[in-house]
Amino acid sequence: MINFILNGEQVSSNSNQNERLLDVLRDEFRLTGAKCGCKEGECGACSVILDGKLVNSCMVAMGSIEDSTVTTIEGYSKTRRFQILSEAYAAVSAVQCGFCIPGMMLASECILAENPNPSEEDIRRGISGNLCRCTGYNAIVEAVGTAAKEGKGLW
Amino acid sequence: MVKSYFAKSLEEALEIRGRESVIPYAGGTDLMIEADDQASYLFLNKVPELKEIKADAEYIRIGAASTYAEILQSQLIPQILKDAVIEIAAPAIRNLGTAGGNICNGSAKGDSVLIFFAADAKLRLVTSKGERILPIKDFYLGRKKLALQKDELLVEILLKKTGLDHYYYKKIGARNALAISRVSFAGLLDMKDGKIINCATAFGAVSDVVIRRPDIDEMLAGKTTDEAKTVKDAYLEAFDEAIVPIRGRVSAEYRKSVCMNLLRDFLESNGI
Ligand SMILES: Cc1cc2nc3c(=O)[nH]c(=O)nc-3n(C[C@H](O)[C@H](O)[C@H](O)COP(=O)(O)OP(=O)(O)OC[C@H]3O[C@@H](n4cnc5c(N)ncnc54)[C@H](O)[C@@H]3O)c2cc1C
Ligand code: FES
Ligand code: FES
Repeated sequence: MINFILNGEQVSSNSNQNERLLDVLRDEFRLTGAKCGCKEGECGACSVILDGKLVNSCMVAMGSIEDSTVTTIEGYSKTRRFQILSEAYAAVSAVQCGFCIPGMMLASECILAENPNPSEEDIRRGISGNLCRCTGYNAIVEAVGTAAKEGKGLW
Repeated sequence: MVKSYFAKSLEEALEIRGRESVIPYAGGTDLMIEADDQASYLFLNKVPELKEIKADAEYIRIGAASTYAEILQSQLIPQILKDAVIEIAAPAIRNLGTAGGNICNGSAKGDSVLIFFAADAKLRLVTSKGERILPIKDFYLGRKKLALQKDELLVEILLKKTGLDHYYYKKIGARNALAISRVSFAGLLDMKDGKIINCATAFGAVSDVVIRRPDIDEMLAGKTTDEAKTVKDAYLEAFDEAIVPIRGRVSAEYRKSVCMNLLRDFLESNGI
């Protein structure tokens, strides 16, 4: 039994310790916001926030997260910060097919949590592990910049 | 049934390591690429003793399970290591991947490994019965072959506190970050009273093991930069012979000429 906090709730999983967090989130907890793009740590579609830091959930074995805190897009979407970010993304159409967006939102959150006034370069570096095949990065960078302004004091 | 273990202290980790046949798991960023559900992992990512970065009179001591993000944050870490680490993958991987994992993966492409070779870092290897300290050069026996005993864990990486400030570092990859090195080079030149007291070079991703040849670098020791110029040709020639690249996704010839260009540039940037 692996115990951890998932989106603010204490949960336990019966999964094998060697299973990927990504698969357990999707299959056992039915949280399908984290997407499976590559399972190689390359695309960032599976991003979650683990103990306050952005990680690729395909790179995390369940046995390593005992007592950890995991936030997925489903949990994050209930926050005020999400709302601001989401509006900023929508305002500049920083989303097309949407596959990469859950990971991109969590990456954006981590950029702003670390630095509420990120430069364009900070933003680009912060999302460098999240591949987007359709929106392109400029709109996303703009959205994060807008959220930083709109959400003054929230981060 | 396979059984994995989650360790909460170093003592517990070493006890399990000594008793069971387990695969140490730090950040998992190498291991999870080929995730094996039959493996018995020993999870080390929350062992406090493996996550400390501290300094004593002689060394900066980096806990093996310190992540790249933690290394970048620490005030104790010399800039040469930070320069290499900032180019590793992307933030999400740097939040998981560790310096100890980079070393114990046994690849000559490890970007932090190159710096540890150039700096002649020492490794503290511990079992439940005792410990030994090994220069990193002696830890690497060949491609993916390490002098790591079955009951041992890498606990700390020891970096000398001095002589690391004056450095040269270049990583040549297909892209900047996110790409595994095709060739990487680090050079250190420590001068005192106008004389070279230590020259150390290391070439990564070229051969099965990082190339580090103190015997050749020694040619420059004790010399002023002007004196060093007189042995420059012989020095370059010796490395020309010492660097025997393996064939990979990029040709051996390409690797070789990049190595020699970087070496020359390192010397020239120091007025040699
Ligand atoms: C997308 C992506 C990009 C990457 N980019 C780079 C890059 O640019 N440069 C680079 O160098 N690497 C890169 N890597 C490789 C990897 O991230 C690094 O090698 C990392 O340092 C591995 O650390 P880890 O803690 O995740 O290792 P793990 O996967 O946990 O372990 C690696 C190996 O070390 C052993 N081990 C770990 N800790 C110990 C210990 N304390 N004692 C004994 N054995 C131990 C394990 O058993 C395993 O064999 C990349 C990986 C991915 C997925
Ligand atoms: S699915 Fe995890 S990084 Fe691509
Ligand atoms: S919105 Fe389609 S991949 Fe990013």
